[in-house]
Amino acid sequence: MAAHDVTPTRSVLLDLKRRIKLSQSGHRILKMKRDGLIIEFFEVMDKARKMRAGVASDFQLAMKKITIARAVDGEVAVRSAAYALKSHPEVRLSSASIMGMVVPKVEAESIHTDITSKGYGVIHTSAYTEEAAAAFEKLLETLVRAAEIETTMKKLLDEIEKTKRRVNALEFKIVPDLQESERFVKFRLEEMERENTTRLKHLKGKEEVPE
Amino acid sequence: MFQRSGKGNYAYTSARAKAKKSRLLKEEDYSKMLMMSVPEISHYISEAGYSKEMTELGNRYTGLSLVEYATYANMAVAFRSILKASTGELRNMVEAYLSEWDFTNLEVILRGKNYGLPVEEIREDLVPAGRLDMDDLDDLVAAPGVEETLDLFASKTGVRVSDEAVAAYRNDRMLKDIEDELAKTFYRNLLLSVGTTTQANRIFRTYLERVVDAQNVETLLKLKVERIGGEEAMKYFIPGGQEVDEKTYAQIAAAADVVSAGNEMQGLKIHNEIKGALTDNASVLDVVAAIDRYNAELANSVAHMYPLSVIPVVDYMIHKRNEARNIRMIAHGVDSGLDVETMKGLLVI
Repeated sequence: MAAHDVTPTRSVLLDLKRRIKLSQSGHRILKMKRDGLIIEFFEVMDKARKMRAGVASDFQLAMKKITIARAVDGEVAVRSAAYALKSHPEVRLSSASIMGMVVPKVEAESIHTDITSKGYGVIHTSAYTEEAAAAFEKLLETLVRAAEIETTMKKLLDEIEKTKRRVNALEFKIVPDLQESERFVKFRLEEMERENTTRLKHLKGKEEVPE
Repeated sequence: MFQRSGKGNYAYTSARAKAKKSRLLKEEDYSKMLMMSVPEISHYISEAGYSKEMTELGNRYTGLSLVEYATYANMAVAFRSILKASTGELRNMVEAYLSEWDFTNLEVILRGKNYGLPVEEIREDLVPAGRLDMDDLDDLVAAPGVEETLDLFASKTGVRVSDEAVAAYRNDRMLKDIEDELAKTFYRNLLLSVGTTTQANRIFRTYLERVVDAQNVETLLKLKVERIGGEEAMKYFIPGGQEVDEKTYAQIAAAADVVSAGNEMQGLKIHNEIKGALTDNASVLDVVAAIDRYNAELANSVAHMYPLSVIPVVDYMIHKRNEARNIRMIAHGVDSGLDVETMKGLLVI
């Protein structure tokens, strides 16, 4: 809204003052939210960094174990053991709130099953295949946790960006525009006041001059 | 199992087995292969007795798959030729020893059927190295379901799975009880097939009893990694071992973890072989690798005792199996970039 587009009336001035006050308090609150989100983001980023390292190391370990299992037991035996598996991991999604922002909460169920509940025989299934299965279960658990943290981090980044834009808009556009409008309305009102005074003086002067 | 009478052609079969054993790859061959790429390994084994299988399978598979399927096919041909050459009591023992492959193939078929795999894919993974040839296995693959397959297997081999195991399968569609029962049946039949009339047979039987011990120890270690003990662990006990009887098994099963279980094994002969791997931060794989080496040494220690007996025949089959395992392991290891030291540790020579 351009400053000169407003109607210079007292009620508009009062409204502008109210809006400036509201915007300034909103700006203050949003700034606090932005700072809070940034602090939260750094905490989550730290967790995400550790989690990424965990995913990388778990992945390497799982790949090494499956390579050894395939090498020692053979591709056929490992593939056959995979066909015997009956447990299906389930992922449950819920949500949590960080400073009013909804973040996902991912919980996985029955990822790790012990050797007696996997579906294949205990005696004949080699320890190499079993260890590879356990390593991949661990990798999946880490991935589920990493998915939660990475999504939270991305959402936090989006929210920080959005809040930053709002803070900047309030700080550099909305509040200055409102203040400019306020100044304009004040100036126009004062000018109108002065015009009125002059007009009154004129009228008074005309009355005093004898015809 | 269907028993044959008569002593058996020990001289002929053991001579064939020894001749075949002399043509197996040596330690230096594996050292060379560790430095090769997968195509070079394929070429190398083609010149070391695998050419027929490599050529036959070359139009269907390439690279690692070709090496894997060719080694299985070659081993199957070698084992079946020994089986066909043997007669009488010897054949009963060889058949019982090789029936492990029948059980393995049955497992592959059951798992494939339970998963819903197409017949062709199940067929690809079969290794006809046991008593059942490819035609028999095709019949099993063609059976409509798991229970029909088990019935057909029973009619072909005489091995019937208990009603409890089948009922458990019907209940949760898991094959674990059936598989564990089949594994126990294999060891029971194998021990039953070996008479104790000759000194050679008694040595072979002692060897098998120690293999059963090793299998029980390995099962216990796998369970202890998950801290499973008590009644649950007892379900997987294989009777017939030399040292690990039900009481010893129960004692080890009662241990809290892998290291404690290792301590419980102190009185066993196998403990000497695996104690190095039983450290606080040991992986069960190190222990299992030690058990594999123990089994190989066990076979080597009795191999030369009775030249005209079942021992050299089984010794050849163990070495042939290890050869196929080693080639496959090196090919996979090289392809996946496993370091040479790890591969050397996994070699069974």
